Amino acid sequence: MTVPAQKPVRKLSMKQRYSALTHDLDWTPTYVTEEEIFPYTTFEGIKVHDWSKWEDPFRLTVEAYNKYQSEKDRRLYAVLDGFAQSQGQLGLTDASYMNAMKIFLQGIPIHEYDAHRNFSYLARYANGPGARFAALCQSMDELRHAQTEIHTLSHYNKYFDGMHDWHKWSDRVWYLSVPKSFFEDAMTAGPFEWLIAIGFSFEYLLTNLLFVPFMSGAAFNGDLPTMTFGFSAQSDESRHMTLGLEAIKFMLEQDEDNLPIVQAWLDKWFWRGYRLISLVAGMMDYMLPKRVMSWKEAFELYFEEQMLNGLFKDLAYYGITPPRHVQWAIDEKEILSHQVYWVLYQYSHAAAFTTTIPNEADQAWLQEAYPETWPVFKEAVWDKAQRVQDAGGRYFNPGLPQLCTVCQIPMGFTEPGDPLTQCQRQSVYEGERYDFCSDGCQWIFDREPTKYRQSWLPVHQIFQGNCGGPTLPDVAAWYGLQPGDGGEYLGSPDHQNWLAWHGQAPKED
Amino acid sequence: MSVAAEPRPVGVDLQENEENRALVEAIEADNDDLNIRHMPGMIRLTKTGQLVINQASVEARLGRPWETHEFQLAIISYFGEFVEWDDDQIVIAWKH
Amino acid sequence: MAVRANYDYDWPSRSAAELYGDDQLVHVWWKGNPFFVSAQTFRFPKAMPFGELVGLCKGFFAADPDFDPDAMDTVQWRIDKVDVTPDLTASLEANGVGHKSLVEFSI
Repeated sequence: MTVPAQKPVRKLSMKQRYSALTHDLDWTPTYVTEEEIFPYTTFEGIKVHDWSKWEDPFRLTVEAYNKYQSEKDRRLYAVLDGFAQSQGQLGLTDASYMNAMKIFLQGIPIHEYDAHRNFSYLARYANGPGARFAALCQSMDELRHAQTEIHTLSHYNKYFDGMHDWHKWSDRVWYLSVPKSFFEDAMTAGPFEWLIAIGFSFEYLLTNLLFVPFMSGAAFNGDLPTMTFGFSAQSDESRHMTLGLEAIKFMLEQDEDNLPIVQAWLDKWFWRGYRLISLVAGMMDYMLPKRVMSWKEAFELYFEEQMLNGLFKDLAYYGITPPRHVQWAIDEKEILSHQVYWVLYQYSHAAAFTTTIPNEADQAWLQEAYPETWPVFKEAVWDKAQRVQDAGGRYFNPGLPQLCTVCQIPMGFTEPGDPLTQCQRQSVYEGERYDFCSDGCQWIFDREPTKYRQSWLPVHQIFQGNCGGPTLPDVAAWYGLQPGDGGEYLGSPDHQNWLAWHGQAPKED
Repeated sequence: MSVAAEPRPVGVDLQENEENRALVEAIEADNDDLNIRHMPGMIRLTKTGQLVINQASVEARLGRPWETHEFQLAIISYFGEFVEWDDDQIVIAWKH
Repeated sequence: MAVRANYDYDWPSRSAAELYGDDQLVHVWWKGNPFFVSAQTFRFPKAMPFGELVGLCKGFFAADPDFDPDAMDTVQWRIDKVDVTPDLTASLEANGVGHKSLVEFSI
């Protein structure tokens, strides 16, 4: 009697295979101490008694990792080729959409590379094999993200300004010191703080607030490559979320003494990450010709509902409380995007993207999304900017802004309940004054003043003569900006090209 | 494996494409009171308590071999925790 | 708290007063006018008369089309959140404006 052909049965289950190829390859050193092999995992005060308790539900092996990652790349690059061949850039909703992707290209790939480096360091210096292998996979993922982002967006560099020197700008340009200082802050902390800062706070708590606006924004505005990249990367992100959640739970489960350290890091990195992604708030409400949802809606869904009402109820079991300054963030959701875009609008003459006054359709959307706060900002600033434009000018701020020492953003954030009064906080440490945009940033400084007094604040560095010279043209040259990269969108080369490609004459003013 | 006494929403965002139809159908069949929401390029599946993906159920609908590792090609994001991921099943829930 | 490090961690400020010689950074804030999205940071000589700061402000804030420069002659000044009546002929330093001080007015 013949037995019908069955698919081959693997000798080991997924659990067993994973163990055999990760945990079981580890050994206890006999000729050096554990401390000598792993010298960085005690100074932060985190106590670990049993590294074997680190769990990884994905249970990947190198074989599985390579198989699925290769497949993701194959699918992505096929889309990139197709888009390029079909002149897909002509199908964007508008050239002004590209400003969102310029900010993405300038602010993100270089820091994916930073994350690649730091997870690589963890892949060597974490004591437990489970943690090391998860970090190794994430390190390769982050390198993949850096490379695929650059490849995805390189097509647009052939057609649009503001993309040609993203690497140099990431390092030098004022608004890009915001993500740069964020990542360098995390990289110069210890391995456990890194895991809470990036693995947990950034990759779990806040990740959807970064990726969904960009990727759905791409989908809504005809940007197929970015959308495809986004979904491709997000499947890696689910492993990153898992690593981050495992990191925090592992620390909390290993020793009760870890709780106050972890809570303080959570408080700090929620706030730092939240301030960082305020740039996304400005982008999603003001830079997408076709909007997906408002910042307010995204914050309510992805943070308040999923995190505060979902995740934090889970973490309460360990004694973790919601982040210290979370109420300030909740209170800000009605005004954050207005304030950020207003910063970008008046300083884009020194940036590698263009800005413009919201048009009639934009304003109708803003009115509907923010019925309480849009009218306030419209009256206070946009109507005035419109008057300047109607008179033949264009308002650009003639000077340099006061920057927050911690988040490094121009201090345009306002007091809770008072949207027209900028928040001013100061601390004095060893006889020197430092400025902050909020209670959250001030609290971070006061905890570790000797770290944050080292902030490389672009405005201060310009005034010290470290950025090419005293005038705006000197600084722009040092930045590597070219005509067309920044300033006003209407009438820019991007705008004029767009009209020409679509057979439309430029509008007469 | 313990899950939260007070059930809360958990969910998963999947790429909306031809290949994942069978996956979505299997999840729908195996999870009562599943909420399905379509967004551009993606499909969001949520429910209260726990979400289960059964290897056999997916494979039967797909018509070719499917291992749970392959779920990684479909997923965009999730909320909850992977409380189980084995050859035959993936379970998303909150532990506390 | 001290920064946790596995060595003696002590690094100087990147914006210390010494780095500006005879000058200093001054933040000038037109409180209540969000047209200037934040306070503005300037580099001024410590010895610069306060009256010269006022003169520079009259030029600077004209970027706001509704600005009346004469209004600056009667504002209430605050230095580091304290109401003051500055001596326009005396230096910034003599008026109590230090490195990274906040000089504030409203109209």
